[in-house]
Amino acid sequence: MPVTIKYRTLVDALLSAPADWPFVTDWIDEDEQKTATFGEFRGMARVQALLLKDNGVSVGDRVVLIMPQGIPLMSTFAGAMLLGAVPAILAYPNFKVEPSKYRFGLAGVTANLRAKAVVIDNEFPDDLLGHVTLGEARLLRAANVGAFGGERDLPDPANEPGSLAFIQHSAGTTGLQKGVALTHAAVLRHLEHLSAVLNLDEARDIVYSWLPLYHDMGLIACFILPMVCHLHVVMQSPLDWVMHPDTMLQIFTDYKCTLAWLPNFSFQFVPRRTPRERWSNYDMSSARALINCSEPVRASSMNEFYNAFAPCGLKQSALHASYAMAENVFAVTQSRIHGKPGPEVIWADGQRFRAEHIIELVPEGTPGAVCFTSSGQLLPSNRVQIVSDSGEVLQNGCVGEIAIQSDSLFQGYYNRADLTEKAIRDGWYYSGDLGFYLDDELYVVGRKKDLLIIGGENIYPQDIEEIVCSHPAIHDGRAIALGVFNPDLGTEDIVVVAEVEKEELLQQADEIEREIRSNVVANMGVAVRTIFLKPPKWIVKSTAGKAARSTTRQKLLAEHPELAVEPYREKTTRDT
Amino acid sequence: MTPEAQQMIDQVVKLVRKPGLQIDENTPLVSSGLIDSMALVDLLLKLEDITHLRIPAGKVQPKDMNTVALMFATAQRVGKPRK
Repeated sequence: MPVTIKYRTLVDALLSAPADWPFVTDWIDEDEQKTATFGEFRGMARVQALLLKDNGVSVGDRVVLIMPQGIPLMSTFAGAMLLGAVPAILAYPNFKVEPSKYRFGLAGVTANLRAKAVVIDNEFPDDLLGHVTLGEARLLRAANVGAFGGERDLPDPANEPGSLAFIQHSAGTTGLQKGVALTHAAVLRHLEHLSAVLNLDEARDIVYSWLPLYHDMGLIACFILPMVCHLHVVMQSPLDWVMHPDTMLQIFTDYKCTLAWLPNFSFQFVPRRTPRERWSNYDMSSARALINCSEPVRASSMNEFYNAFAPCGLKQSALHASYAMAENVFAVTQSRIHGKPGPEVIWADGQRFRAEHIIELVPEGTPGAVCFTSSGQLLPSNRVQIVSDSGEVLQNGCVGEIAIQSDSLFQGYYNRADLTEKAIRDGWYYSGDLGFYLDDELYVVGRKKDLLIIGGENIYPQDIEEIVCSHPAIHDGRAIALGVFNPDLGTEDIVVVAEVEKEELLQQADEIEREIRSNVVANMGVAVRTIFLKPPKWIVKSTAGKAARSTTRQKLLAEHPELAVEPYREKTTRDT
Repeated sequence: MTPEAQQMIDQVVKLVRKPGLQIDENTPLVSSGLIDSMALVDLLLKLEDITHLRIPAGKVQPKDMNTVALMFATAQRVGKPRK
């Protein structure tokens, strides 16, 4: 049956699900999978809710969850909502993160949320725990859900449509972490639009996901949407997937999944990292929408995936795109599920695009042409305008900043009036993304704000630069982190350029580089592709004396042309 | 050093982000930022190849792949015969 959403709150939606329907399958590996039905899941959520309640958590309290991907995390999240509390998921620390650095990141977020409790799992590393400063929050270990709570009574949820449902974080690691607080009503309005454009059917659709739940694409599309629409979701952890990307194909084959949201790089990563002799083992015929989302969409990446797995039954009509962000709950656009297969692909004059920021359509294959892939059409009750640097609203086909209005837009960053004021102006949310609107389709071409998107994850360059500059050999304030497109991966690589204090230090470049590399990993858990150490005064400064990112980028690309890849110069066409 | 370990090191050298670097069986690779999580799949596929074992997803974490020596220990611990 097609999904209809007419609940007052997310809790009502969860409580209305048929008890014996499968909800979440935790896919550990080929031989180990755990499934919770909606009834079992509710039982687990009740156990967690009672634990929170016994520890003084009540309506409106913020609860921070730091647990590995899986059913216990999801049921604790739902348990907090059952109580009327407001959960927020933070990334689980990976082993590369140093305990002393971790403390700093966590303290900032819990202080900003003024959390009542921080919930961790039983395996949370003790050496990290010693560094956790919680302020007024109480540290709890999640309850063991091995024994289900059954249909035990719970306090009256007391949720209202206008109450806060949860907080999702948009990006950043430390001082830059932004919490997006969302009400039940806003999330439900959004899911109503999304389920309509996706033509969701509770009897047919099964979601596959490896996406982290601290990110909007994982949280909304692969947890809250299935919870509200009563769909089955089969999920694995991001790390398990990245180390065995072909497990996605195995799960589609075994469970006949129909929907998945994936960042662009996965469309290349899966075919390139799945040994060719295994391709014939898989059956992708059940897929009806594989939605490219959270990184700039590239037709060549999607073509690569299609060409690899069409012999496994993959339909071209299953390839889709969406433009989404935490601030709008999730999606702003979605490519048409019916009609022409796949997102629109257009070719434009490269010179006019670069010099005048205007899209002039040209035939495919025209010399110097650039290729853009649409992120789809606006969801109902969503509007965009394209705005120039001077604040002027631009016509269709002109490139500018994408500003958004909708009936699910956030009201502001939690406890961050300063950031909210910059982001929301005259009722429009200024996304910081650059794009253009043409023939009812939105195309996203880049970013105005300083943000790197690495494998679908948002990273602020300032966070990396601060770590690089903390090295004694690097001149303070003279480091720049850039995202440079890597065509082999279909995503950006982190490249750092930094000035040493004195030219003589360049003789120790190998050692300095090694130390910077491990400092970045220890702090952020991400690896830098290349570090360029430069003599003093190499980095271009702005008039205010700050390192100027874009001019430094141009200088670096001029000196190292091997880095300069034109991301929109697509080689393949849809049909090759 | 066994020929298998040498084969693995040769693979690592192809993947590290600093060309020309000396690597031995105990060089930290993941925690030092020399390889990132997206390169782990290449190491796992090579490890399965060399050991003739299947290394199941979900039984191996990046920390188990931090050095070449650890990779072989991991394969011994969680590897299963090929189906």
